[in-house]
Amino acid sequence: MHGLFGRVLHVDLTSGQSAYRDVEESRLRKYLGGIGLGTTLLYQYAPTGVDPLSPANPLIFASAPLVGTRVTTTAKFAVLTKSPLTGLIADSLSSSHFALELKRLGIDGLVLTGQAPSLAYLFIHDENVEMRPAGHLRGKTPDETQTIIRSEPGCATVWVASIGAAGENRVRFATISNEGRHAGRGGVGAVMGAKNLKAIAVSGDRATPVAYPEELESIADSLRRRSVSSVTDKYRGLGTVANLAVFNRLGTLPTRNFQQTTFEHADALSGETLTETTFSRRHGCAACTIRCERLFKSQAGEEQRLEYETLFALGPLCGISDPDCVLQAARLCDDYGLDAISTGGTLSWAIETVEKGLLPEARALGLRFGNAEGVLTAIHAIAGRHGIGALLAEGSRRAAVETGGESSYWAMHVKGLELPGYDPRSLKTMALGLAVSPRGACHNRSGAYEADFSGEVDRLRGDSRRGGIVAASEDFAAVLDSLIVCKFLRKCFADFYTEAAEILARVTGWEYSGAELRRAGERIHTLKKLFNIREGWRPDTDWLPERLLSETLPTGVARGVGLSRDELKEMIRGYYQAREWDEDGFVPERKLEQLGIARC
Amino acid sequence: MPLMGPGSETCATAIVLAGGKSSRMGRSKALLPFDGEPLIVHVVATLQRLFAEVVVVAAPEQDLPSMPVRVVSDEVAYQGPVGGIHYGLTAAGSEAAFVTSCDSVFLNLDLIAHLVDQLPGHDVVVPHWQDRFQPLHAVYRKSVSPLLAEQLAQGQLRPVHLFDKVRLRRVDEDEIRRFDPEGSSFYNMNTPEDYAEALKRWSVTRRAVQCTVELFGMARLLARTPLMSLALPAGATFSDAFAALADKLPVLVGRVISADRKRLVAGYACNVNGLSFVRTETAVVNPGDSLVILSADAGG
Repeated sequence: MHGLFGRVLHVDLTSGQSAYRDVEESRLRKYLGGIGLGTTLLYQYAPTGVDPLSPANPLIFASAPLVGTRVTTTAKFAVLTKSPLTGLIADSLSSSHFALELKRLGIDGLVLTGQAPSLAYLFIHDENVEMRPAGHLRGKTPDETQTIIRSEPGCATVWVASIGAAGENRVRFATISNEGRHAGRGGVGAVMGAKNLKAIAVSGDRATPVAYPEELESIADSLRRRSVSSVTDKYRGLGTVANLAVFNRLGTLPTRNFQQTTFEHADALSGETLTETTFSRRHGCAACTIRCERLFKSQAGEEQRLEYETLFALGPLCGISDPDCVLQAARLCDDYGLDAISTGGTLSWAIETVEKGLLPEARALGLRFGNAEGVLTAIHAIAGRHGIGALLAEGSRRAAVETGGESSYWAMHVKGLELPGYDPRSLKTMALGLAVSPRGACHNRSGAYEADFSGEVDRLRGDSRRGGIVAASEDFAAVLDSLIVCKFLRKCFADFYTEAAEILARVTGWEYSGAELRRAGERIHTLKKLFNIREGWRPDTDWLPERLLSETLPTGVARGVGLSRDELKEMIRGYYQAREWDEDGFVPERKLEQLGIARC
Repeated sequence: MPLMGPGSETCATAIVLAGGKSSRMGRSKALLPFDGEPLIVHVVATLQRLFAEVVVVAAPEQDLPSMPVRVVSDEVAYQGPVGGIHYGLTAAGSEAAFVTSCDSVFLNLDLIAHLVDQLPGHDVVVPHWQDRFQPLHAVYRKSVSPLLAEQLAQGQLRPVHLFDKVRLRRVDEDEIRRFDPEGSSFYNMNTPEDYAEALKRWSVTRRAVQCTVELFGMARLLARTPLMSLALPAGATFSDAFAALADKLPVLVGRVISADRKRLVAGYACNVNGLSFVRTETAVVNPGDSLVILSADAGG
């Protein structure tokens, strides 16, 4: 087999026993790797109705065919589990050297079940699997954890993925982190923490076998050249922080818990300003020619990575205008292993709830819009589950239900996952994408906003045609996430499906067409939906927060624009139709047969 | 195939009604001198920036200047707009058509493109401005032609009678103002005074188009400024604006603006006033427009 190894390593953390299990080549052809392969493993190994924080919930790391090849931006891995935040699928990606080292173990995936008797880390060196005590790592940041593990016997060359204190404390939006990158959304870190697993340290020596290396090199070389052309200027020049000023101008920057879509202090936080005032250096993942990461220097002289989502969530969403506060808050999220979007989303919910007269304990922390100290104190409290932090560690949906009153109205989530930095009222295709996404309010498992930002559609007015656009965008994302190729490379392809199929064929030796790849995207997305249906998805789960359907935009170029229930219903109807699902959004048997998906 | 500008999936024809009596004007409106040419030539030339096919509907034996368009005649003269729309749609080579009159001197192509974009799922797309439908600035599906024929037979000569019988998309003022804040699109001329007023407005418009360029991302960092004012000749297109910007900020050439200075390079996009994205560089810049230059990858 080329590109993949045809086997997955299973580790029972309760007993410490491990075993390799074969994965049929036919399954790999259908689901590729990464998110696709991970979804099939999750569907197979998660018991129906499993409690996400119970030992039986599998935590899955999945590699992919292009990982370890010379194709740029492919040093990535997927993490899947049943989300403790949504109760549905959590499928996250992270990247860099850990991804390459995981593949060097000669496996396509790692399935972890059970629960270690006490805090432990997993050390996998080639085919040796060892559980080691990790009491001394308790409370350590992911960076510290890697440094300490590397000083331990046999571990000098390992790469480490670990949780911070938030994961140990089962904060429902905790991340799994490696090298400053994060499998961020959906609370995969809480599942790892619930397994008493602090870290996974890997070191292997298997190269990714490539069927036609010379033929692959010609296309890989061409892609590398295209990856540094003007189409990636934004990522190479400013990174994603460039979004903030643009979104503010276009009236789609969520501010003060989505009460506004423009922020009066946007200039102070813009990517342009940060680049001119606090920029420290540019960085990139392993095997990446784009190198989108930007590190900025805080007043204390510390370097901190910032991306748009972190910047928006810890800045305008909480009314924070001081760049140094955002850098400090981002540092805390990284050190504790917290998803910055859900952290900002939950905090902004708490702030508004305080302002409406509830949550007196949060008021005592100093939580109010624009108060840096309150936000920083609250992040510490969340990670440690101290005081009101224990409530906030549950995420905005659960915290609102617990708080009662009208506070659910201010909880800005879909399926329990807090919204990313795009206001759906002024991006109607994105509104649909967020409403129907299997993992909740997600901007990564589709690029629905692209249509809104291209002028291809009227971004201020929804219609049923958006269904086909969103479905195509989800399938496209599923293929990127399963090969795996970074989304920032997406515009470097002239004809993505044809070219990507050619790359896949050269790596694996499979005959593979663009049409098959497109179908694989649809199959992968459909399986995610099938998992969700099995775990309790219902038609009313595909919906948006009440605020977005009740309040029109008070500021910005789209002032006065709203999103009506009928408009959203119409778009959802168009989406189910485009997917050929039934009118309630369930997947009919004939569609499963067509895609070759077997229920389990 | 009469196609719209590049990138659009919608096919449409433009129909210009020129066969009116011009009784209050006292002479043929189509031939009124305007910007150095007959008025109808001006209107047709404007529409040809957006539509590959333009059909002019004239009265039988009407005197018209030579133009690269298809001219059809009303079978029965002076049946009003319903007749003109019916005959125009019958002659149109595509499934739908934007219909206007030969005295619509201040057409706004962004608004027209928006109207055409609204057609899927509807038969007629009509603006509603200052409490009135604007049937002579609307998009009609060719399939409504038999209904118009029926109206003609019954002597119903007002287009609004059609609107109850079709899948109508009414475009309200708020939506219109996003493209045309003053509603100049609906200005037409019936009297010599209207004509004089139009000439006056045009002379102001044509002197210069003042617009602002807002730079974001790499464009701002390269230019070391977030804002730039441009004075463009009347009728200037976005290509002209990019060229003028290149003159002022040569550092953008090759990085943001193409070497031929006519367009933005791949990876960059232009948005107008924070609302609509420029889909064709040959569209005209309107006075007061703010051209927002940003990354084409706005997400991520």
